[in-house]
Amino acid sequence: MMADVVIKTSGLTKDYGNGRGIFDIDIEVHKGEVFGFVGTNGSGKTTTIRNMMGFIKPDSGTSVVNGLDSWRQSADIMKNVSYVPGEIAFPALKTGTEFLKTQAKYLGVTDFGYMNHVIELLQLDPTAHLKRMSKGMKQKTAIVAALMGEKEILVLDEPTTGLDPLMREAFLQLVREEKQKGHTVFMSSHIFEEIEAVCDRVAMIKDGHIIDTTSLYDLRHPTVKNFIVEFEQAAQKQHFIQNTAFSAESADINSCTVRCKTSQLDAFFHSLKDYPITNLKEVHCSLQQQFMSAYKKELIQNGNN
Amino acid sequence: METTKKTARFFSKPLMGQTIKSNWALCLAILLVMILLGTVMNYAMSMMTTEKTDVDVTEYQESFYTYLGALATYDTMTQQELSYKDFAAGNHDAAYEAAFEILNTQADMDLSIEGFHSAIEGLSQSGISLDKYVEQFEYVYALKQSEGVFNKEELTASGMLTITLDMMGVSSDIVEKMSEMNPASMMNQMYYTAMGLLPIFLLIVILANSLIADQVDRGSMAYVLSTPTKRSAVAITQMVFMLVVPLILIGIVGATRIGTSFLFFDEVNVAGMIALFIGMYILVEAVCGLCYMGSCLFSQSKKSMAFGGGLAVWFFLASMIGMFGSENMVNTGMGVSELSIFNNLTLVGLYDVDTLSTIGTANVDTSFVWKLLVLAAIAVVSYTVGAVRFSKKDLPL
Repeated sequence: MMADVVIKTSGLTKDYGNGRGIFDIDIEVHKGEVFGFVGTNGSGKTTTIRNMMGFIKPDSGTSVVNGLDSWRQSADIMKNVSYVPGEIAFPALKTGTEFLKTQAKYLGVTDFGYMNHVIELLQLDPTAHLKRMSKGMKQKTAIVAALMGEKEILVLDEPTTGLDPLMREAFLQLVREEKQKGHTVFMSSHIFEEIEAVCDRVAMIKDGHIIDTTSLYDLRHPTVKNFIVEFEQAAQKQHFIQNTAFSAESADINSCTVRCKTSQLDAFFHSLKDYPITNLKEVHCSLQQQFMSAYKKELIQNGNN
Repeated sequence: METTKKTARFFSKPLMGQTIKSNWALCLAILLVMILLGTVMNYAMSMMTTEKTDVDVTEYQESFYTYLGALATYDTMTQQELSYKDFAAGNHDAAYEAAFEILNTQADMDLSIEGFHSAIEGLSQSGISLDKYVEQFEYVYALKQSEGVFNKEELTASGMLTITLDMMGVSSDIVEKMSEMNPASMMNQMYYTAMGLLPIFLLIVILANSLIADQVDRGSMAYVLSTPTKRSAVAITQMVFMLVVPLILIGIVGATRIGTSFLFFDEVNVAGMIALFIGMYILVEAVCGLCYMGSCLFSQSKKSMAFGGGLAVWFFLASMIGMFGSENMVNTGMGVSELSIFNNLTLVGLYDVDTLSTIGTANVDTSFVWKLLVLAAIAVVSYTVGAVRFSKKDLPL
């Protein structure tokens, strides 16, 4: 095992029957990275996280956090792990402040400086009555409760549900701060944009199987770029497709798509200067597209079975 | 910042604080209900005992009737109008003295004014008005030495009463037993095995569910278990709460009841009452253990509630029905002895109020010991099973 791997699951399986559950999950999260975990609803994200946290016992395979077995040494793991559960339900306490104070006692936190910083950043009013909190407020409270321990590892199960776009941005800022401190963040989500915004690597899960694990570095720094080039007339487009050295495909009446290696970009633009171009657009390959293509590939494979 | 917090393995102070904070109001409410119930019950029992004393007045009654009989004979003999009423007014003591003297010499009796007074005084201890005795005497006297036309048997007032009751369809046995029944023992049975248990049963069913299963079901347990707190610490902390709360409640209720007993009664069997409340605590803990086990076994609040609540309701109902099979109820004609089967179908049946209350009296019946041991064993086993299961099961957090 690599020294800087903090979370590692190997062959993790929890079968709930009827094809539900998770199967052979292999995930390695390195120290200091922000690891995204995406998948549709019911694909097994939460089950995987529950296994990591030692709340449920795997049928087979292991989950190891900081070198400790998740199931058997759960409480020891928690010394270095903070967790934001996917479903927010607070203990039967009165106010948010009371809850946070209790939580601080569990964690042994005595310095509330960082907690207040997080509260400020998320613009949370913790004095509110827990029962009367809106979904977003509850989510913020849960995030504060988890972050105040300043643990090395953060496990967040869909941490941005219920947050408005501004707060989501504030939260992502917090995640970046954590990363700067060298902390490891494992967060699940079904919102690709936020994963794309902060994560270093992403695992995609579908029906309990990991279908793809990609580095977002590759996504952000692709070796091949796609462009849509729009010409003034259809004949010019035709001419370009027939004469160009790049792989080009006709798309619309006046436009075509072009694939081009980043090293050849210069040559590509040069070749365009002889044509009257009305529009040039780079097609950004988003995580969502990546996911969709992986998802479709998986569907086709399964269909062939 | 490096948190140096040690892993909580057996007990979690913050969790205890949280549990107390979220449940103290309910516990207090139940405590008040229990105190009220115990005090009112005690007051009712004290009223009951002053209404009917157990003093044996047969001797005085006999002596009183002798005097009345003598007066009646004297009246018919001498055409006078001496009576108890007149005697009690105390205006013609001389006339009575004379009458008694004559009777003494004539019939070789030992009558005196003092004797009549002491008979009256003794009989008044019964709490029944002396006028009633006088009236009864009228019947006795009227029927005296008369015999049936057909069977030539002596006719008595009590014989007539028995026949009359039989005609009305009331078994004369019941009437006799009714006078013999012990209302205090019945009230005790009712308080300790039914009414007194209901509030605390209610409390432990709710508590057991909310301490474990409800928190797992709703997911709020995640905030505890995502801190360095072992599951065993959670299980044990909540167990301690479930052990201590009924102890405090029953302790306070018991102390209040013993205290008010000193207000209402002249004599208080403190040891017996303490034994009864200790027994009640053990019984409550057995039920509590079962509820706790249910709470640990099930991850769904409604299932845990159905298990714990169902058992508690059953124990309570069966005990209520079983009470209608108790000797006291059968004696009053309100029960059937067959119903006492239900006492064997409830844990409350192992809480032997009658023998427990013999503690502190001369003849102690120790048959309650094994029953309480069974209850304690149930508590220990179910608490252990619950805690172990909770530490090993999958939690949907």
